[in-house]
Amino acid sequence: MLRGAALAAVLLAWGSTAQAQTMRPFGTFRQWHGETRLTARLEYAAGLLRVAPGSGSQLYRMDLSYDDSRYVPISDFDQQSGSVVLGLKPEGQGGVRVVSREQLRQTATVAFSPRVDLSLALALGATETDVELGGLSVSNLAVKTGASRAVIRFSQPNGTRCGLAAISAGAAEVSLLGLGNSRCDEIEFEGGVGKVFLDFSGTWSSSSRVEVKMAVGELTLRLPRTVGVRMRMDKFLASFEPVGLVRRGEWFESRNYGSTDRHLNLDLTAAMGGVNVEWVK
Amino acid sequence: MPASKQLLALVTLLIAVAPRPLPAETPIDSMVSEAIGLVSRVRTLVRHVGGSQGQTINLDDLSRPTLLESRLRLALQPSNGELRITIPGGTARRGDFSLGSSENLTGHLLVIDGKADIYGHLTGNLVTVQGDVILHPGGVVSGDVLALGGEVQDQGGEIGGEVRTLKSSTLLAPAAATTAPQALSPIQSVLRRVAGVTGVFLTLLVLGFGLVMFGRQNLEIVSDTVSHSFGRAFLAGLLGQILLLPTFGMLVVGLILSVAGILLLPFAVAVFGLLTVLGVVGGFLAVAHAMGETYIRRRMALGVMIGSPNSYRYVLLGLGGLASVWAAWALFGWVPVAGSIVWGAAFFVTWLLGTAGFGAALLSRGGVRESFAGRLLPPEALTDEYLWATPQFGVPAARRPGPQSRSRGA
Repeated sequence: MLRGAALAAVLLAWGSTAQAQTMRPFGTFRQWHGETRLTARLEYAAGLLRVAPGSGSQLYRMDLSYDDSRYVPISDFDQQSGSVVLGLKPEGQGGVRVVSREQLRQTATVAFSPRVDLSLALALGATETDVELGGLSVSNLAVKTGASRAVIRFSQPNGTRCGLAAISAGAAEVSLLGLGNSRCDEIEFEGGVGKVFLDFSGTWSSSSRVEVKMAVGELTLRLPRTVGVRMRMDKFLASFEPVGLVRRGEWFESRNYGSTDRHLNLDLTAAMGGVNVEWVK
Repeated sequence: MPASKQLLALVTLLIAVAPRPLPAETPIDSMVSEAIGLVSRVRTLVRHVGGSQGQTINLDDLSRPTLLESRLRLALQPSNGELRITIPGGTARRGDFSLGSSENLTGHLLVIDGKADIYGHLTGNLVTVQGDVILHPGGVVSGDVLALGGEVQDQGGEIGGEVRTLKSSTLLAPAAATTAPQALSPIQSVLRRVAGVTGVFLTLLVLGFGLVMFGRQNLEIVSDTVSHSFGRAFLAGLLGQILLLPTFGMLVVGLILSVAGILLLPFAVAVFGLLTVLGVVGGFLAVAHAMGETYIRRRMALGVMIGSPNSYRYVLLGLGGLASVWAAWALFGWVPVAGSIVWGAAFFVTWLLGTAGFGAALLSRGGVRESFAGRLLPPEALTDEYLWATPQFGVPAARRPGPQSRSRGA
């Protein structure tokens, strides 16, 4: 009897708690009206984020499920500048919620039209992010991430030439995949603490200059054999094994550097940790 | 505005709009649109002249749907059984609404508790509450669309602006009884404060007993430092409070600037915080210990028999004394002016003693250094008589061999 009453009380308490911790769906999109370019800023404080190419009929679309006691959705398009700000920003009571992580896991799916030249800026907090830019036309990319796990990939060649991809990571685990498909003239990566994987495989259509600054952590470079690679390394307490590279003065070069049309020029600065090199065809 | 002026405004508007000659080649759609626009404007004017307009909801900006939702929640609470909402430059409808394929509607549209079927042309923003927006082929909404508690079904229409959907199931539900927080009666207020004070001091008592059990020697040294060097301890505590944040900043910056220090930063921050809390709470408990010890020794000096004069009793008595200051506030805090004065006094006394305790903890290096504890007696004071009659440690031990004692003994 007493045990039953206790169980009922626990279930009742659990039920009332679960009811209070609800997630709220929000969706937004804009029809494509012949726009040729879009400047998008995506601010996402916490949760799971997925970015992918969308349908041609919509300029952008965002579907999210968020904790409305702590965050508010952002969706603001400026017709004059052709820019949109999307995402979630913190509001209301702060602090750490002591509940199951799964129960309050915020999720967001954002899609952009492949028809427009996209200048994309991502400001990420404590997130788990998967960004698929292959199939889009990214003219500019800027990513700032805090304590997050992020995978940014170009599975297909970029639809347009990209001027600069600048990625800044705090305490994060970041993987940039298929950078050969990105068609970026310049790639800048600045990492604080964490594990970074830069994969330069893909279809190289032009040369690229890459600058990597890493404070503490492990950096893995996956380099394509079809491209001439030249690397300069500035390290303090970091280990570096220049596998497959030949030293020429202050530079490390691949043997085919002089004979290839497309070059990957890497400028690395690493304070503590290790720099690993892998090769792919 | 007087009624005559309102009537005049209505007539002026009718004259200004109605007699405009329509050109012979004007298409039928355009004429219908003009007519609808005219009716809408007249309706708006009549509504304005009519007086009571209810809540005003501006639908110009739909980029903050949660803000609009909260405004709508307020506006949708009927007063006197009626629901009145004014949409500047637009209209509000209750129940299902349909805009025909030959219709043009100018201005924002709010549809409450019903779906909006758009076949025609809406020039403005569209908001539905607890209803879907269905945009049929050929239907046009020139502005933004927001569905609160509904869906947007685009079946081939055109939307010029942004489309947003926010699930909102509670918007039309009667508002939860928003009872203003009732003012507590003096008895309730006293009981609440007494409970709070009791809780805090019981927690301190448990911590104090723990400290006596596991760190008695350190506690006694800090306690003796408070008793023997109160002024010095207070000044040290004051200085410590002032320098606490700068020291923390210097520590963080110093560690960041050194390469290896970055790794130690989280650990150092945690240790700094822990030591500060330990210094403040431990110092405060040491003050309580000192108070209790002083009181019991004075009682014993007067010949009162005390069962077991130990540190547990000192801490208990000292905390009781400190709690009595707050008990006064708990009992009389509800009195308008005196309550604030009592609170201020209790706070000041607690801060004063807490500062002294913190300073004593700093001076004695957390109860390790006895320099200021008054425990170093000159050898000439250690006479047989003194050792027989006086405890060898503690505050009275340091103060006992004074001239008065000697004269009294003589």
